[in-house]
Amino acid sequence: MASRVSGRGSGTSIRGSVMLRLDPAALGELVAGRRVAMVSGTNGKTTTTHFIAAAVRQALGADTHRLVHNADGANLHAGIASALSEHPRADLAVLETDERVVADLVRLGRPEVLVLLNFSRDQLDRNHEIKGLGRSWRDALAAAGDDGPVVVANADEPLIVWAVKTARRVVWVDTATTWTQDAALCPQCGSPLVREDGTGWRCTGCDLAQPEAAYRVVGDTIVRPDGSSVTPELNVPGGFNVSNAACALAAAELLGIGPETAVAGMRTVSAPAGRFGTATISGSTARLLLAKNPAGWAEALPLATSATVVLAIDSAAADGRDVSWLWDVEYEQLAGRTVVATGPRAQDLAVRLAYAGVEHRVVPDLAEALRGHTEPVDVVATYTPFQRLRKLGGI
Amino acid sequence: MVDALLADVSGEYGPVDGPRVEIVLVYQSLLGIYGDRGNATVLARRLAWRGFDAVLTVVEPGEPLPDTGQVYLLGGGEDAAQISAVRALQADGGLHRAVDRGAVVFAVCAGYQIAGRTFTVGDPTVPGGEDQVIEGLGLLDVTTTRGPRRAVGEILSRWRGRSGDSDDSALLTGFENHGGWTRLGPDAEPLADVEVGVGNCADGTEGAVNGTVIGTYPHGPVLARNPALADHLLELALGEELAPLPRPEIDALRTQRLAAVRGTR
Repeated sequence: MASRVSGRGSGTSIRGSVMLRLDPAALGELVAGRRVAMVSGTNGKTTTTHFIAAAVRQALGADTHRLVHNADGANLHAGIASALSEHPRADLAVLETDERVVADLVRLGRPEVLVLLNFSRDQLDRNHEIKGLGRSWRDALAAAGDDGPVVVANADEPLIVWAVKTARRVVWVDTATTWTQDAALCPQCGSPLVREDGTGWRCTGCDLAQPEAAYRVVGDTIVRPDGSSVTPELNVPGGFNVSNAACALAAAELLGIGPETAVAGMRTVSAPAGRFGTATISGSTARLLLAKNPAGWAEALPLATSATVVLAIDSAAADGRDVSWLWDVEYEQLAGRTVVATGPRAQDLAVRLAYAGVEHRVVPDLAEALRGHTEPVDVVATYTPFQRLRKLGGI
Repeated sequence: MVDALLADVSGEYGPVDGPRVEIVLVYQSLLGIYGDRGNATVLARRLAWRGFDAVLTVVEPGEPLPDTGQVYLLGGGEDAAQISAVRALQADGGLHRAVDRGAVVFAVCAGYQIAGRTFTVGDPTVPGGEDQVIEGLGLLDVTTTRGPRRAVGEILSRWRGRSGDSDDSALLTGFENHGGWTRLGPDAEPLADVEVGVGNCADGTEGAVNGTVIGTYPHGPVLARNPALADHLLELALGEELAPLPRPEIDALRTQRLAAVRGTR
């Protein structure tokens, strides 16, 4: 409770880290005997995990106590351990997993299904080469061999396709991803990649190429392996969430849940861990959008359609200490709108906006920046201010 | 693989009847992971604000570098991308021709290492990751090898070209993130002297200058945080002095970053 009051991290993670300090093998013991589905990737982890958990809940009916899900997004060792310890009798675990924890959880948790959504640069001050993370997944899947998970993987992402080549079985999803900024060179041989209409991407130097997908996103529908279409009609916005839902659907079907049941469950997801949720903050109505990196901003900014837009930037460890990425985001699209820059690095954003020709004002304090808006505002925030805004808004 | 969602900085900035200046942003798909494209945005906008017809050209590997640019920009990237970029630039030859005719080359981080004589890549923690020494472009008399630790964090240095200035405009602020440590040969001068951070190789120097070629480590992007350096590059390229361009938001940012770096490291 103390950590919640002081606002330092979530209480669940702290309880989990105490437990793991007492016994480092605790995670393996906590997960033993459960059926595990895990989700990782750079963007969309929390929402996708919520989709899968909701599908499982829908299938369980009155037996929802059988499900454990780290719903608050605490996705490091400690957060996962904490969620598991709270539900010792739950035999189904749907776990959001940080990219750095994937290899450990594959080894310790013997997951049945591993969903890998996308892979782009994030927090370069500590993950300076994203390929290293991909290599750790590859090695863990190779070591797991025939005991390894069935992987649900995004066929549009070269680094993911390379990383899961060692998996025993892969269900490919064509997520119709448009973010290709982090994939110019082949992760296998270093040759340039090319992207062609119809067949997708391929390497010019080796055999790595976009695999044929079992599930495909076409507009706002998902085409299943048998050719039938599902229109998920989600209660979270954005085409990228249809892609997340396609991955979740594939995972749910692997767990034995029928597509109608799975989609009915996914429709109950509306504000996973506060994302896309609406709250009252400082007397104003605010919809909260999370964006952690250039790929995330490219998704979130077009959703911010209010006349006044609040942008909150920080550079704490969880946000990435280097804010140079601000210059990879096309803030030019906000020209003509009223923009409020807030958060500890609001001034860096202000300079970026000035060069983008976007009128703005700087209000460093988050609560102050939300004050006095008569119309609902969309707020796009990096991780740390997003969590503070959730607290301020009570969601 | 050029992306539709990427902040597309290419195009015309400023009035078309103004004097034309071309900025060339080199290989963003390879040397674009640290936001250094912002340096191009900054130069083009600062020209446009002064009435120049600034043209920003983005070139990818396989496309020839234009011979018409006044400033060429290289940014930071991963090892494999760095090797691919240096090979493409050697094959193209355009950067050497640009320097020969007096154009400015401004190279950041991996781009800085590429501009030197040789650089070393590799990851000793993975199989097959042994060190490889790669021939650079030789535009700067510097050599980069793997350092004893990765340099990551805010960096503050005092710009030699401006030393003697009493005001803060001689201070260069940015964020460094590099595993390679760079040593200068006799034909390169340091750009700056480090006050906080690692810089070239923890020897107190940062960056290198040889004529119109300037290399440096900081991101930020560095020209957004140091408008005097941005204008210096433009003056070097144009051969004329530019009018000052007061921007209070940049002054406020510099004040914040200087206070932060002096308080934390």
